[in-house]
Amino acid sequence: MSFTSQIREVARVDLVVERRTGETFRIVLPFAIVTLIIFSLSLGGDVAILRTVGPAVFWAVSVLFGMQLALRASALDSPTRRDLMLLLDLDPAARFLGRTLASATIVLVFMTVLFATMVVLFDPSLPGGWFWPVAAAISLAAIGLAALSTLAGGVAAGTRNRSSLASLIVAPLAIPVVVGGSQVLEAMERNSGILLWILLLITSDLALLVAGVGLSRPLEEASR
Amino acid sequence: MTAAVDIESVNLNLGGKLVLSDLSLALGPGESLAVVGPNGSGKTSMLRLLATLVKPSSGTGTILDRQILSPTIREIRGRIGLISHTPALIGELTIAENLEHFARLAGQNSDDCTRALHVVGLEQVADRRVNESSFGMQRRTEIAWLLVAKPDLLLLDEAKSGLDVDARELVDVMIDLTLGRSGTVIAVSHELSQLGSALHRQMHLISGRLEPLS
Amino acid sequence: MRRVQIMFLVATTAVAYGAYLAFTAPLDALQGEFTRMIYIHVPTLWLAFLAFGITALGSIAYLITKKPRWDRLAASSAEIGVLFSVVGVFTGMVWGQAVWGQAWDWGDARLATTAVMIFVYLGYLALRHSIADPEVRAKRAAILGTIAVIQVPLVYFSVNLVRTLHQTQSIRPDGSTMPTEILVALLVNVGAFTLLYVVLMMARMHVAVLEETRMSATVVAGDAVAPPRLSDVKDV
Repeated sequence: MSFTSQIREVARVDLVVERRTGETFRIVLPFAIVTLIIFSLSLGGDVAILRTVGPAVFWAVSVLFGMQLALRASALDSPTRRDLMLLLDLDPAARFLGRTLASATIVLVFMTVLFATMVVLFDPSLPGGWFWPVAAAISLAAIGLAALSTLAGGVAAGTRNRSSLASLIVAPLAIPVVVGGSQVLEAMERNSGILLWILLLITSDLALLVAGVGLSRPLEEASR
Repeated sequence: MTAAVDIESVNLNLGGKLVLSDLSLALGPGESLAVVGPNGSGKTSMLRLLATLVKPSSGTGTILDRQILSPTIREIRGRIGLISHTPALIGELTIAENLEHFARLAGQNSDDCTRALHVVGLEQVADRRVNESSFGMQRRTEIAWLLVAKPDLLLLDEAKSGLDVDARELVDVMIDLTLGRSGTVIAVSHELSQLGSALHRQMHLISGRLEPLS
Repeated sequence: MRRVQIMFLVATTAVAYGAYLAFTAPLDALQGEFTRMIYIHVPTLWLAFLAFGITALGSIAYLITKKPRWDRLAASSAEIGVLFSVVGVFTGMVWGQAVWGQAWDWGDARLATTAVMIFVYLGYLALRHSIADPEVRAKRAAILGTIAVIQVPLVYFSVNLVRTLHQTQSIRPDGSTMPTEILVALLVNVGAFTLLYVVLMMARMHVAVLEETRMSATVVAGDAVAPPRLSDVKDV
C-alpha cells in the first residue's frame, strides 16, 4: 500500500473511531463552551470588556481544549495494537501523519464551532474581511496542535499519567500557535499586515511535521 | 530459504532485567516448536523478539534470512503472524471493519476477508463491534486475519487459552495450514496441554533460558 | 583528589572572587544596590540557556549514537538548567520590581521565553520520572529534547514579534554605558558560574551512573514469582 494511502487509511479509521466514541462533540465541546460562559461571567458581564477580550479567550480555550482533543483516549493504541500495526508493515511516518490529519480535522471542526459560539456570547467587533484570515489561522493552528499533541501523546504513551503529562508537554510548546492565531485578528484591527502571523503558523506547523516524520521511527522503537 | 529461524546466544535486556539469556534456536521451513514455561519466564518477550518487535541486546543469527541486529530486519515484518495473549483489535470497529482495515494497510484483497470470516464461522456477527463481542469471537477474528495474511512465520502466545473446542481446533488448522505452506510455527503456553500435538518439537523456557523438555 | 573535587575547589574559589568583585564594583546611580543583582541574574540566565542547549545536543547525540552517556548528559543538564533558570527569573523579578516598579514585564521576550522554557523542561523531567525502563526513557526523552530545541526558538521568536509590534515602552537601560569595572565583574561572575555548572554536571552525571548501576544489578526474569507453597495452605 502506498505511503499516502496508508496515511488516508490511518486517518479514516481514527475519524470513524472518534465518531463512534463521540468524545469531541459529546464531552469536550460542551465543556469548552461552559468555559467560555465561565469566562464571561467572571469578567462581570461587562459588554465593553467582553467585546475586547472575546477573540483572546477563544484562542486560549481553543488551544487548551484542542490539545485535549488531540490527546483523546481514542487516539491511544494498546501495546498489542501497536505490535500489530508494526507487523502490518505500517510506516511509522504514515502513522504519525495519518493520526495528525485525523486530529487536525477534529480540532478544526471543534474550533469552528467554538469560534461561532464566542461570536454569539462575546459579540466582538470583527474587522471587515475577517473570514478568510481567521479561517486560515484556525486551520493552521489545528494542524500545529494536532502534530504537537500526536508527538507528545507518543512520547508519554503507556505512562501512568499519560494525559496530564502530555498536556504539560504540549502547552508551553504551543505558544507560537496561540500567538500566531490570536495576532491575526489583532493585526487586522491595527491595520498592520497579517502575513507575518500566518507565516509564523506555517513555520511552526512545518517544523512540527518535519520533526514528527523524522522522529517517528525512533519513537516507534521506544514504544515497547 | 535456508532456515526460518536460526539464532545463537541471543540475550535480551529489558529495563535492566535479563529477560532472555543465551537463547539459541534453529527451525527450518515446515518445522514447528512448542515452548512451555511458567508465568514471567520470558515467553512473550521471546515471541516479540522473534517477531522483530524488540531488538535483542546481543547475539547473532537470522530470522527469515535477515540478520537479527541489522535495521533491514524490519522488512520481514509483513511475513510474520502473531497472536498475542490479549487481542489487538480496535474496539469501536466491527469485526469485518477490523479485518478490512488490516487488509488495506497490508495491501491485501478485502474479498479474502469475507471468505476468512466464513471459514472461522463469524459471518453472522461480522457487523458486530469488537467491544461488544466475546473474547472467543475476537480470537476467531485474529485467526481469520492470519488466514488472509498467510504468514511464513506464525507465532502463537497462549493462543488457545479461553477458547471453546471449535476455536481451539481452528488454531490447530491454522498451524497445519502454515506448516503445509512450508511456514514455521512457534507456540508458547504455560501449559503443555494448550499447545496440542500438531507441533514437532517441545522445549521448556525457565527464567529466560530455553532447555529441552525433560 | 578526584577530578570533581579539584573542579569544586576551583569553582568555589572563582565564585568567591566573583562575589568579592560584585560587592566592590561601583553602583549604578539609578539602580543603587540593586545593580549587584545583575551579577547573579545574568550568569544564571546565561547558564540556563547553555544548560538547555547542552540538553538538546545530548538528546540529538543520543538519538544518533544510542550511548547512555549522552542521555545522562541531557538529563543532568536539564535539571541544572531548570534550577538556574528559576534563580534567574526570580532575581529578574526582584530587580524589575525595584528598578522598573514592575516584577513582570510581558513585553520582554527573553523573560517570557525563559519562563516558558522552565515549564518545557519541567515537562521533560516529568516524562523521565514517568518511565521506568531506562532505554525507553532515554529514547523518548531524547525525542522530546529534540522537539523542544526546534520549538523553543519559535516561542522566543513569536513572543518577540508580539513585543516589537505592540511597542511596549518599558525603560530598559542598555549596557552601552556600562562602566568597565561592572563589565569585568559581570564577566568574572559569568565565568565563575560556568565553572559551577561544570562541577554540578560532573557531580550529577556521577550520581546518574551510580543510580544506573544500582538499577541494573542483573535480575533474571521469573525470579520475582516464587513457586506456590501448596503444603503451607493450611497455615493461611
